[in-house]
Amino acid sequence: MTIEQQRQGLAFSGSGHPTDQESLRFRRVSSRMSTQIYHEPNSSTSLAQEEEQSGSEPTLELRNTVFPMALKKAARQVQQMQVPAQFNGGSWKQKRIKFVRQFKSNVREFLYFFSLWGKTLQKIGGRNLVYASKQPQRLRPRWQTLLSLTGNFGGGVQSYFIFLRFLVILNFVSFLLIAGFVLIPSIVFRSVGIKPESSKADVSSECLKYDPNPQGLVVFYEFFLDLLSGTGFMEYSYLFYGYYNNSVIVTSLVGSHFSYNIPLAYLLTAVFYFAFCLICIIVRMGKAARVAVTTGGSDVRSYSMIVFTGWDYGCLGSKATKLKQRNIYYRLQVDLEEERLKKHAASLTLCNKVTLHSLRVLMFFVAVGLIVATFLAIARATTFSQENSHVPGILGLFYTYLPSIVITLGNFLVPLLCDQIALLEKYPPSATVVVALLRAVVLRLVSLGILLFTLWKQIMCHDSRDKCNLCHYNHEDYQCWETSVGQEMYKLTLFDLLVSIALLVLVEFPRRMVVDHWSCKLTQWVGRQEFVVPSNVLGLVYGQTVVWTGALFCPLLPLINTVKFVILFYCKKITLFYNCRPALRTFRSTSSAIFFLAVLLFGWILALVVMIYSVAVIHPSFACGPFRSFFRMWKIVPESFSTLPEGARDFLFFIGSQAFSIPLFAISCVFMCYFIALASIYGKSVAMLRAQLKLAGQDKQFLVKQIEKMKPLSPQHNEGEQD
Amino acid sequence: MGNKQTIFTAQQLDAYQDCTYFTRKEILRLFYRYRDLAPQLVPLDYTNHPDVKLPYELIGSMPELKDNPFRQRIAEVFSEDGEGNMTLDNFLDMFSVLSEMAPRDLKAYYAFKIYDFNNDDFICKSDLEKTLNKLTRNELTEDEVKMVCEKVIDEADLDNDGRLSLEDFQHMINRAPDFLSTFHIRI
Repeated sequence: MTIEQQRQGLAFSGSGHPTDQESLRFRRVSSRMSTQIYHEPNSSTSLAQEEEQSGSEPTLELRNTVFPMALKKAARQVQQMQVPAQFNGGSWKQKRIKFVRQFKSNVREFLYFFSLWGKTLQKIGGRNLVYASKQPQRLRPRWQTLLSLTGNFGGGVQSYFIFLRFLVILNFVSFLLIAGFVLIPSIVFRSVGIKPESSKADVSSECLKYDPNPQGLVVFYEFFLDLLSGTGFMEYSYLFYGYYNNSVIVTSLVGSHFSYNIPLAYLLTAVFYFAFCLICIIVRMGKAARVAVTTGGSDVRSYSMIVFTGWDYGCLGSKATKLKQRNIYYRLQVDLEEERLKKHAASLTLCNKVTLHSLRVLMFFVAVGLIVATFLAIARATTFSQENSHVPGILGLFYTYLPSIVITLGNFLVPLLCDQIALLEKYPPSATVVVALLRAVVLRLVSLGILLFTLWKQIMCHDSRDKCNLCHYNHEDYQCWETSVGQEMYKLTLFDLLVSIALLVLVEFPRRMVVDHWSCKLTQWVGRQEFVVPSNVLGLVYGQTVVWTGALFCPLLPLINTVKFVILFYCKKITLFYNCRPALRTFRSTSSAIFFLAVLLFGWILALVVMIYSVAVIHPSFACGPFRSFFRMWKIVPESFSTLPEGARDFLFFIGSQAFSIPLFAISCVFMCYFIALASIYGKSVAMLRAQLKLAGQDKQFLVKQIEKMKPLSPQHNEGEQD
Repeated sequence: MGNKQTIFTAQQLDAYQDCTYFTRKEILRLFYRYRDLAPQLVPLDYTNHPDVKLPYELIGSMPELKDNPFRQRIAEVFSEDGEGNMTLDNFLDMFSVLSEMAPRDLKAYYAFKIYDFNNDDFICKSDLEKTLNKLTRNELTEDEVKMVCEKVIDEADLDNDGRLSLEDFQHMINRAPDFLSTFHIRI
C-alpha cells in the first residue's frame, strides 16, 4: 500500500525537527496528502466552506487525516511555512474558523447542560461509567460511582426514557398553553366577580339542575375518596369542565377596547392543543425516519452490523464486558436460529405445512376471542359502574374504579396468554415479536375506545330512550356529562400511576430481595426482573391517549399527567438500576422509535375522533360549562364569526370558498409531484454511487495488480514513479 | 488561564490542538494519564522531545482498555513500531480517533485496521473468525462461526472477491447508525 511505503520512507529522527532535505520531501508529501484525504461527509459543508474561504490553497483539516501524529505535525509545519506567502486575510480567516468551531462546541456543551435529565439518559445508555477517581476537575457524585458497576442497559431502554422525556415536555408545554388561554382568564374573571350568563329561556328547569356538592352527613374520609374519584369538592373546581363559565367579556374602557370570549378560547385552545401535539409527533417521526432511511432500515440486525459495530468500546469492567459478549453471542444465536427455522420451514412436507397453517389460524381466532372477551368485560364493567355510581363509601370507590381495574387486568393477563399461544404458533422470532406487539397495541387502545363507547351510549341513552327526551342527553344520570367523562379520564390516569407505584413497591423490590438472598431452583428460574421496553412504552402511549381524550373535559389533565410522568421517570429509573438485570435480548432502537411514534399517532387519532364527536354531535350540558347556551359546542365559532369586522369576515369567507381552495389544492399537488420526483432522483443517485464505488474498488485492484506485474521488470522506474 | 505549565512549549500545544480533537486542558490531562502509567519513565519536560515509549503491557493495563478484547489490536494499530509500544504522540492519536468528535470516515479507517489481524489491508475469512471469537469469547461452535463469516462476507462484499476491502467496510459502516457511539472511548 502506498501509505505504508510513504510512512517507511519518511521515518525521521526522534528530534522531530526535519532537516532541509526532509522538509522538501514533506512539501511534496503534503500536496499528495491533499489527494488522499478522507473527507468526513457530515462536516463536508464546513470543509467546503473553509476551502472556499481560504482562497488559493485548500486548508487541510489535519485532524481528519489518517496519518500518524508525526506526519501530521510535519504537515502542519509545512502549512505554517506556506501561510505567510498568502496575504494576512488567510490567517485571519483560519483564526475565525477556529473561533467559530470553538464557539459552536461551547454552545453545544452549554445547551447540553440544560437538557432535561441528560446525565441520567447518558448513564442508562452506558456512556458515562467511571474509572479511577484521580480527576480533580470533574465532580462525580458518589452515587454515580456506586452505580457504575451495573453496566449499561443499551439503546432500547434508553429510547424508552427519551420517549418519556419527550412526553413530559409535550404535556408541560400543552399545560402552559391551556393555562395561558383558559385557566388564567377564568380565574381572573371569577375573582373579579363576573357571573355566568343563564341559558335561553325555552329549556325546562329540569335540565338546568346541577348539584355537584352533596348535602347531608359527610363521612370523615370523604375528602380522600373525593380526591381519588374526582367527585365532591373536586368536581366543582377548575379541574373539570363544569366549573368554567360562559363569560363573554366586552369592555370599552377609556382608550382601550378589551374583549375576551371564554367559550371560544376554550374550544380553540383544545383545537390548537391537538394540532400542536400532531406537529410535535410528526417532526419527531421525520427525524427518526431520516435515520432509518439513511441506514437502509432493515439492515440493523444483519450479521455484519453485529460483528463490526456490535462491540461497545466504551464498555468498562470485566462484568460488563462478559455481559456484552454474552449479548452478542445471544444476538448471533437468534439470527442463526432464524436461518435454521427458515431452512426447516422450506423443507416441510405439504401435510406438515397444512397442519402448521391451520394451527396458526386456530390460534389467531383464540387470540381474537380473548381480546373480544376483554372488551365485553370492560363494557359490562363500565355500565355496572355508571349504574352504581351513587353508592357511598369504599364500596362506591371500588365501583367507580371498576372500569380502570378491568382494563389494567386485561392489559396484564391477555398478553401473558398470548405469549403462551405464540409458543404454539411457532413463528420465527422476529415475527413473534411483531405479532405480540400488534396484539398488545390493539388491546390497549381499543379497550379505551370501548370504555368511551360505553360511556357515550349511556349519555345518549341508547338503551332507554325516554331519559333523553327532555334535554337531548341523559340528564337524570348525568347532570353535567362532560364532567363525568372528565372524571373517568382522571380516574384512569390516577389508577395507572397508583398501579405503577404499587407494582414497584409490592412486586419488584421484593422479587429482587428474594432472588438475591434466597437461592433455590425456583428463584434461579424466575430470576431478576428484566426491563421490558415494548410493554412499558405501550403503557406510556395509553396514558397519553387518555390525557388527549380527557383534555377537553378536564383542562388540568395535562398538568396532572406531567407530574405523573415525572414521578414515573424516577420510579422507573430506580427500578432499572436496583431491580433489573441488563437484558440479554436487546431491543432495536432505531426502527422501534418510528413504531412507537406511529402507535402514539394512532392514539392521537382515537382522541381526535372523541373530540370531534363531543364537539359536533352531542348537545352540551345545560347546567354547567362554557357551552351551556349553545346547541352544539362548535356553534360558538359561527356566532363569534359574525362579530368579526367586515374585512376579516370577507377574508375568511374567501379562504373557505372554492375560488381559493381549488388553486391551493392544485399547487399542493404540484409540490407533491416535485418532492416525489426529487426522492426518486436521490434514490437513483444512491444506486449509481454504489455502482461507482464497486467500479472504483475494481479499478484499484487492477492498478495494484499492474504495479506488481511491473515491479520485477524495472525496480528503478518504480522509485521514480513514487517520487 | 495562564500558560503556567512547563511540560510543553506553546507551539507544541498548538500543534497537538490542531492535530487532535482535544483542547489544551484535555491534552494536559491525557499527558498526566500517560505519565501515571510509568512515572519513572516519562519525564515531566517534553520541550526537547524525549524519545519515550511505554511497553504494551502498561498500555493494556489502563482501566479503559484492560477488559476490551481488542486492546492488543488497538495498541498495535496506533503504535509506531506495530508491536503496541506507544509514545505520547501515539497515545494522543489513539484517544483522539476514539473520541466522540472524530468523524465517521476516520473511525472507519482505523476500525478496519483493527479488525485486519494479518495487516494485509483486507479483512479475510481468518480475520473475521478471529474477530468473532474475540466478540463471543469462543462460545460459538466451528460451524456457527463459519456460517456467520459467510453471511458477513455475503452482505458486505461489494466487489465479490471473497474478502472485505476498505471501501466495502466503509460503505457498510455508513449504514450503521450506532457506529459513532460504539467506537468511542471516553477518557
